[in-house]
Amino acid sequence: MRVIAFVKSILDPEAPPGAIRFEAGKAVGDVPQVLGPYEGNALELGVQIAEASQGELRVVALGGQEQETGLRKALALGAVAAVRVDVSGGFRDPLDTAGELKAAADALGGADVYIFGRQAGDWDQGVTAGLFAGLSGLPYVPLVQAGEVLGAGLKLRREIPGGYEEGEIAAPCVLSASNGPGTLLRLPKVKDVMLANRKPIEVREGGKASAGFSPASLEASVTRRAGRRIEGDLKAQAEGLAQELRRVIPGIGGGA
Amino acid sequence: MRVGALVRSDDQSALEVLSLAQELGGGAAETYLILPAPQAQHPAAGKARAVVLEGLADADPAQLFAAAEALFGGAAPDVVLLPDGPLFEAVGARLAGSLGRPAVRDAGSVALDGSRVRVVKGAFGGKAALGLETEGGAVIGVRQGAHPAQDLPQTSLEMVQMAPPAPLLSGRKAVRDSSGDDLGRAKVIVSGGRGLGSAEAYAALRDVAQLLGASLGASRAAVDEGWASPSQQVGITGQKVAPEVYVAIGISGASQHLSGMSGAKFVVAVNRDDKAPIFEAADVGVVADWHALWPELRRALAGG
Ligand SMILES: Cc1cc2nc3c(=O)[nH]c(=O)nc-3n(C[C@H](O)[C@H](O)[C@H](O)COP(=O)(O)OP(=O)(O)OC[C@H]3O[C@@H](n4cnc5c(N)ncnc54)[C@H](O)[C@@H]3O)c2cc1C
Ligand SMILES: Nc1ncnc2c1ncn2[C@@H]1O[C@H](COP(=O)(O)O)[C@@H](O)[C@H]1O
Repeated sequence: MRVIAFVKSILDPEAPPGAIRFEAGKAVGDVPQVLGPYEGNALELGVQIAEASQGELRVVALGGQEQETGLRKALALGAVAAVRVDVSGGFRDPLDTAGELKAAADALGGADVYIFGRQAGDWDQGVTAGLFAGLSGLPYVPLVQAGEVLGAGLKLRREIPGGYEEGEIAAPCVLSASNGPGTLLRLPKVKDVMLANRKPIEVREGGKASAGFSPASLEASVTRRAGRRIEGDLKAQAEGLAQELRRVIPGIGGGA
Repeated sequence: MRVGALVRSDDQSALEVLSLAQELGGGAAETYLILPAPQAQHPAAGKARAVVLEGLADADPAQLFAAAEALFGGAAPDVVLLPDGPLFEAVGARLAGSLGRPAVRDAGSVALDGSRVRVVKGAFGGKAALGLETEGGAVIGVRQGAHPAQDLPQTSLEMVQMAPPAPLLSGRKAVRDSSGDDLGRAKVIVSGGRGLGSAEAYAALRDVAQLLGASLGASRAAVDEGWASPSQQVGITGQKVAPEVYVAIGISGASQHLSGMSGAKFVVAVNRDDKAPIFEAADVGVVADWHALWPELRRALAGG
């Protein structure tokens, strides 16, 4: 199968509040660039499907140089080609992004399976996969937690409220990947990371942002104030905590 | 501009979204309703069209999308509002793509000014609020609880006929999670994170949960470790919870986790790192190694 995964790299989403500042509509901070965690799930699913079908995985990212983090990781894990659609950073409407990603995918000759992450951790849009499916007129399977190749199609496990469902679908289709038992990103081998650093990344000129929403404001959200600490040795901490828990949860322990 | 709401009648946040449509569209608002069985009337904003989707409780994305297409009949309103959640996940963005319109979700506020649409949503895992504007139409996922439900008039429904649509996946088999505590409704939640260190330590939280009469939640890291099931994940891409008491054990307090538990009334955190961000969001914090604290805590709780 021909597989294309879309891998966005973002400022480390685990950076503590305050490490990222919001200035003039942009997020800035001395925080490392990482492959987004759900893009990691998409990449893992892509690697598995390409391997099991003896097919090929290609990866695409839209953005500046900072996008090479995730693209290189994908090359280290066996992607046969990486494309960066060159546009300057900052907010871009997902409809625009989906259009650019589709043009890049079409230029690669298209695919049987298109895989996105469920949500990128910068703007938290969670819509690009669905928009891409709508633009392409392809079936869309949201929140895939595991996948297997089954002949010309796929057997998928997807998240539903309170559990999951399994079933089969024919290619071509669009998937969004979530975290689950079958999408935990594997670690690349050191040798493959070194080789990947020397592989080419194809750069494709992106268009100007044209469609959809544009940013009007970006402000840090107010976080809650810290409460009190229970100090002392372990026994004192445990007793203090038990007392608090009994106060706020009526009827527990020996309380009621 | 035409403003309409697409909702499922069995969705708790349907009335919130219909009320917002009413507020934005006034008497000209449009209601598009997916029903599990025929019904003559339903609270609605403006004129109401409805379609019956048999087995709605288990409907999948393709069936819901087909229902939306049948309801709109090729003439969707400019601004389509949906509750953010499973319906938006299934229909919202794909519908926007097929209409060539922008999509946005997690909208905490939505305002219209002529043909200008203004939305404020969360970004960077809840670290920021992002204001967005566009000219013309959009498909918008409205954040649950962000807009109060109002009394809406009981309205006669214009029924739309539709052949039962095929499901997205063939040979579908649904599996309800055995750990399927309904976190959304739980009064007390105990959540464990990567700091627990092992599947056994996570499993042992059952004892804590039992003592406190709590349901068991998890961070994404605990799910990724395979200790908890994805349906137990609390956070921006997990369950949004609002218990009376939330106890976070071995969870660092990444903003993506915090935004799922921000509705909790009282938060307790146990973490061995006194600089962990979770303490910034906790009413009561204990800096301790959980494995050492737990035997003492159990004794203290049993002692009364
Ligand atoms: C788009 C996006 C969506 C996301 N959605 C979610 C989501 O819905 N839910 C979610 O949880 N995360 C989500 N994340 C991931 C999030 O950024 C963090 O990676 C995750 O919450 C970390 O989980 P954790 O706190 O368990 O692990 P860690 O960050 O590894 O923290 C473990 C903590 O345990 C403490 N600890 C270690 N040992 C002990 C001990 N013996 N006793 C006490 N404490 C100990 C450590 O000090 C540390 O603070 C999302 C990320 C992105 C980008
Ligand atoms: N700039 C981008 N480059 C590559 N992939 C992207 C980009 N933006 C979004 N995506 C893909 O779309 C998914 C959802 O993104 P979003 O809708 O922005 O939350 C991500 O997980 C990626 O797979």
